[in-house]
Amino acid sequence: MCRHIAPVGHVMADEAVTPHGIALVVASQRRGLIDWNADTVGVVYAEPDAGNCRAHCVTDQPLPAAIAAVRAEIVAQNQAPTVVYDVHERLRTKHSAFGDNAPAPTETTGDVALYVGDEAHYLWPSAVEAAIKLLDAAGMHPVPIGVGQSNGYLAGSLGFPDTASRQATALLNEVQATGARQLIVLSPGDVFTFRQLYDERLGIDWPAEVELVDLTTLLASRVADGSLAFERLNEPAAYAYVDPTHAVRVPERFDAVRALVSAVLPTAPLELFWRRERAHPVGSTAVQFTRPDIADALTRARLEDARNAGAEILLCEDPGTLFHLNRHAASMGLRVQGLYELLAERLI
Amino acid sequence: MERPGIQHEMIRSELEEIVGEAYVSTGEADRLVYATDWFWLPQMWLDRGAPPRKPDYIVHPGSAEEISAIMKIANAYRIPVIPWGGGSGSQGGALSVFGGIILDTKRLNKIIEIDEKSLTVTAQAGINGTQLEWALNEKGLMLPHYAASSNCATLGGYLSPRGTGTISTKYGKAEDLVLRMQVVLPNGHILRTPHVPQHAAGPDFYRLFLGAEGTFGVITEATMQVDYLPEARLLRAVLFDDLAKGIEAGRQIMTRRLDPFVIRLYDPRSTASRVKKILGYELEGAYMVIGFDGDPDLAALQEKKAMEIINQFGAQDLGREPGEGWWNHRYDFYYPPQSLKLPWMYGTTETVTTYDRIEKLYYAEKKAVEEGFKEWDIEFIGHFSHWFHWGVMVYTRFIIKNPPEDPEEALRLHNRVWNTAMTAVLENGGMVNEHHGVGLKLSRYMRRQYGDAWPLLESIKNTLDPNGIMNPGKVGFGF
Repeated sequence: MCRHIAPVGHVMADEAVTPHGIALVVASQRRGLIDWNADTVGVVYAEPDAGNCRAHCVTDQPLPAAIAAVRAEIVAQNQAPTVVYDVHERLRTKHSAFGDNAPAPTETTGDVALYVGDEAHYLWPSAVEAAIKLLDAAGMHPVPIGVGQSNGYLAGSLGFPDTASRQATALLNEVQATGARQLIVLSPGDVFTFRQLYDERLGIDWPAEVELVDLTTLLASRVADGSLAFERLNEPAAYAYVDPTHAVRVPERFDAVRALVSAVLPTAPLELFWRRERAHPVGSTAVQFTRPDIADALTRARLEDARNAGAEILLCEDPGTLFHLNRHAASMGLRVQGLYELLAERLI
Repeated sequence: MERPGIQHEMIRSELEEIVGEAYVSTGEADRLVYATDWFWLPQMWLDRGAPPRKPDYIVHPGSAEEISAIMKIANAYRIPVIPWGGGSGSQGGALSVFGGIILDTKRLNKIIEIDEKSLTVTAQAGINGTQLEWALNEKGLMLPHYAASSNCATLGGYLSPRGTGTISTKYGKAEDLVLRMQVVLPNGHILRTPHVPQHAAGPDFYRLFLGAEGTFGVITEATMQVDYLPEARLLRAVLFDDLAKGIEAGRQIMTRRLDPFVIRLYDPRSTASRVKKILGYELEGAYMVIGFDGDPDLAALQEKKAMEIINQFGAQDLGREPGEGWWNHRYDFYYPPQSLKLPWMYGTTETVTTYDRIEKLYYAEKKAVEEGFKEWDIEFIGHFSHWFHWGVMVYTRFIIKNPPEDPEEALRLHNRVWNTAMTAVLENGGMVNEHHGVGLKLSRYMRRQYGDAWPLLESIKNTLDPNGIMNPGKVGFGF
């Protein structure tokens, strides 16, 4: 009964790609009523793994994790779509589905590390540069780690938990090699992966000595205590803030990121209908590979939502979300702006 | 019914020409998922590994005009058309028992207008109930139809089976909230009912589509009355040592028009089992939740007057927390893991009648079911939850925790329990149903329910739908 919030069911208007439909397909395969084939597997790979169904599940059923486990079974039976194996091969050999020039793990040490990852490195690199500038202004000088490296989320979501575990372990080794006591992350997807997914899906403990820090929360606290300030924009454009993919998995960020946005805009940003606890993802999860039709529909629905709210410029901090919004924004008369970049430009 | 491959493809092509290739599916997964709603029977059938009767096509139209064109094809080929909203019906009303076209209305999900002066909302019928509610809440409004299925159900699904929500006692059933509708008739004609429902310009024929569950046409749009979000919601719980005292207290509160938005009175067995399990209150007797909303002063006065009545029956005032706790967890009764679930056998034999008959009906049904199926250790529970000036609905349920393994045997037993319960209901002046609709489950009782009036309904059906394509097998109509 999470169909009111299920993003794919909403944009596709199709019962089969709701959590209920996917669960029924899986259960029917278990009962011997259907076999895995291109059609039935296609349904299992339609789920975006963005956390909406779980966030609204009255009994907190971990359906996304269960679907990832089913995908692992399908992968093991060699029944997954070809693209799944192709993406996995890139993840396995190039550490990312998005590029192949990931640098070697850093040998620099420091108290604070910044997880860059592969989406920021390949898809929206300006966010990294801006984040470092903001952290400098806050008196923090992080060591970038995991540059161009997936954190394991995508591999796990596609049904390759072993690869996900290897990527997670490599990342944690890199964190420990830096000696960092704080790991700063750019997006709610990273918070979710490190804080919850590693434990729940991979059985990997987050090192107790390393504090996970969400960058927007950190910056908002610095704005609140007056140690960071921004010159407010004075142009009267209609800005809207877009809660990124996975935002619903980290609800404690909602107010912090809005406080940050409000610190730089002349007026409060427009709010979208699909916001905060009900924020839908864009197509920045595994569906961008397995079901590009769904990925595009998700992204366009977010843009349509923004347009309905009267927005002209969309702000977001998450590199993956920004990349996907930007692919379709111009065609819908909208402009996309990275939040970290805007803040870095307006630093006082 | 099976169609030769050539005909199947020809029909598919024609449907694709109307809605586009992306919106017609004959895929295995789609056909399986659309083969069941929330009716116990198809769920049990699947749970036991028995293959369901699947639809032939799943079509997602984007407009009333597309639905109109689909109707013409369905008539030409004599194919059943089964309207589908959220698939949350508990009566099998969306099952494709003769195959055919599932007409999923969820692409019709736009809000057309929110009129803040007249307090109405006009929306397409496929909009999700909770999403519609969120949109209204943004303007300080609500659609006062708080169904347990709102997260799943659509606006059309509220109306089609004449649904009732949690706060119906004050605000009415879904059918009471509708001002006008757009309907696509079985012959493809698109009609709009008049702008307002209360008038004297002839009979209320538009009400034919409410409760028809898609057998008379497809509701594609509706204008609904909305309300301001209440400034106050005052809830409290009381405990009666005797169910009869609770019913009488409820009757007096209603007949004196104290206007509670909710009265929910659990029978002693429900109080001891469901209330204890879900809300954690260990109580003996009949637990009642009562609530008043709206203007804080008025609500407080109404509550005071209601408590004066309740106190006359010696009820124990449990205070606000157990009332508010119920409100906050009111849907938990219907969601896993607290809901009734397979492999159990269960059914909700909810009914409604006047105050002078309700107690007799409740005990007659309870006795018939408990004594008739003693060997199955059947459990019979109930609560009185939708109150009118003239009577009350009782939401009775039966549960068998060890039903037969064989699906056909299980179905036979299920039908026997239903026959026993419905016979008791009909013999004691009850309706076969108050708000879940008729669907497939209760279809066979419709002739008994309506008696001499049934041929009139049948003739209307035959006039509107001479080929019988619309949702066959439901609401008493065949194929």
